[in-house]
Amino acid sequence: MSRLELLTVEGLRIDGRRPNELRKITAKTSVLAQADGSAYIEQGNTKCLAAVYGPQEVRHRMQILHDRAIINVEFNVAPFSTSERKKRSKNDKRSLEIASAIKQTFEPVVQTSQFPRSQIDIYLQVLQHDGGTLQACINAATMALIDAGIPMIDYVCASTAGCIEKQPVLDLNYLEESSDSPELTVAILPRTGKVNLMSMESRLHVDMLESVAALATQGCEQIHTILDSVVRQNTQLLKDSMLQ
Amino acid sequence: MTENQVASSFSFKIFERIKPDEYFRRFIEENVRPDGRALHTFRPTSIRQGAITTANGSAMVRIGGTTVVCGIKAEVAEPRVDRPKDGFLVPNVELSPICSANFRPGPPSEQAQVNAEIINQVLINCDIVDLSELCIDEGKAVWSLYADIVCINYDGNILDASFLALLCALKDLSLPTAEVLPSSIVQANSSMMIKPLKLRRLPISSTFCIFANPKVTLSDPTDSEENLSKETVSIILDTDGKILYVHKSGGAMCDAEMMKSCFSRANERAAELNELIERTSSQ
Repeated sequence: MSRLELLTVEGLRIDGRRPNELRKITAKTSVLAQADGSAYIEQGNTKCLAAVYGPQEVRHRMQILHDRAIINVEFNVAPFSTSERKKRSKNDKRSLEIASAIKQTFEPVVQTSQFPRSQIDIYLQVLQHDGGTLQACINAATMALIDAGIPMIDYVCASTAGCIEKQPVLDLNYLEESSDSPELTVAILPRTGKVNLMSMESRLHVDMLESVAALATQGCEQIHTILDSVVRQNTQLLKDSMLQ
Repeated sequence: MTENQVASSFSFKIFERIKPDEYFRRFIEENVRPDGRALHTFRPTSIRQGAITTANGSAMVRIGGTTVVCGIKAEVAEPRVDRPKDGFLVPNVELSPICSANFRPGPPSEQAQVNAEIINQVLINCDIVDLSELCIDEGKAVWSLYADIVCINYDGNILDASFLALLCALKDLSLPTAEVLPSSIVQANSSMMIKPLKLRRLPISSTFCIFANPKVTLSDPTDSEENLSKETVSIILDTDGKILYVHKSGGAMCDAEMMKSCFSRANERAAELNELIERTSSQ
């Protein structure tokens, strides 16, 4: 068979991970000087940059909401980030869909009612794509919002899980994602465990759904631990520098 | 006492906000710039090659607060009929709203397109690369290189940063060996990578801002300096001191003496960056 073997007999995956193992995550905040809040996240070879501007005056007056802030999300993929160069226009439908999913994920979490008549801009830039852009973008946006000091009721942590040969696997990379295996993206609020976003675009047997979703939730919790430690570390540094 | 200190530190920020030109002028009168630089120093510059593994060649360049990433993707294309051996090199500059609060989402801004066109003109007119080196099979297939320059953080002087990033990405570029099969399918062998392009000369750009009152020129302007100034001069030199491109826009204040000093500073900058590029690529 010419098909790629995604799981070895020993149960290891194509990049040597175990089924329930995340890729290495590196997160940094305050990477951009111009933005009010920014974050850079690497999940394996997927690299994503987020910048938050605001809360600021609403750009188009007709969009003003008098009881809360509006959230505006722009999602952009660098042309050199994928293996095939695709020139995506800014208004590409796929990009708009992802931007809208991210916007809807953050609307109930950010305390927008504290900033009536204003706008919060979240800009996302994918620099290198190796599977799981949506989850990387959500994690980066969470970090950037925290960095900007925008009040939220909780973190939003996202993770993906899929199913290869009836074996649930966590955090798919591009090869696994593109070889026709189902991929489920889940975003949760880790403190309450509430599910904020769930999206799947390919076939998965309904019996498997529960175990795959459970694995993805587990991944979200692991990501929460990592992100939280980065935020705490940064805050500690900030506190130390202020006390000096 | 402490209250007074707080008040004065706030007032200079407010002063900068409401009277940016006056604020700036007071610094210049003391021969220093708001960020602490002397009038003709460039900001610290750093280069990192090969940061993007999905691209065929890439580089990240920082000039002070300005950060750009250039990634080059190669595609197979059919050559033009009148130039059957020549490949293509297409630069593109992206200034998306992520890099500054002043940029709006939407189609590419005038500034981005102007910069991309300047880069394109210099590449075409000054014989930087030999496009026939991108030939796979004469008249049938050539490499087409798309150089996308994405600005990540904008703090002025985008042209210098884009040029430097493009050069370093071109130096980093490696392509698979390819051949055209009889069935006119191009087969690439990615286990054999070659570095196809030799840069014939290194075009190094230096940008200056000119102020009328007081009459000074500043090297490597930041975003706020660019906004206050009405004139900028960009000079592109190669490392032998040949002038490749000069562009001065706006205003009418520049005299010959000033231009001369800009050229000598550009020359120094070219030597300095040449050394930096050499050091980066030998690592």
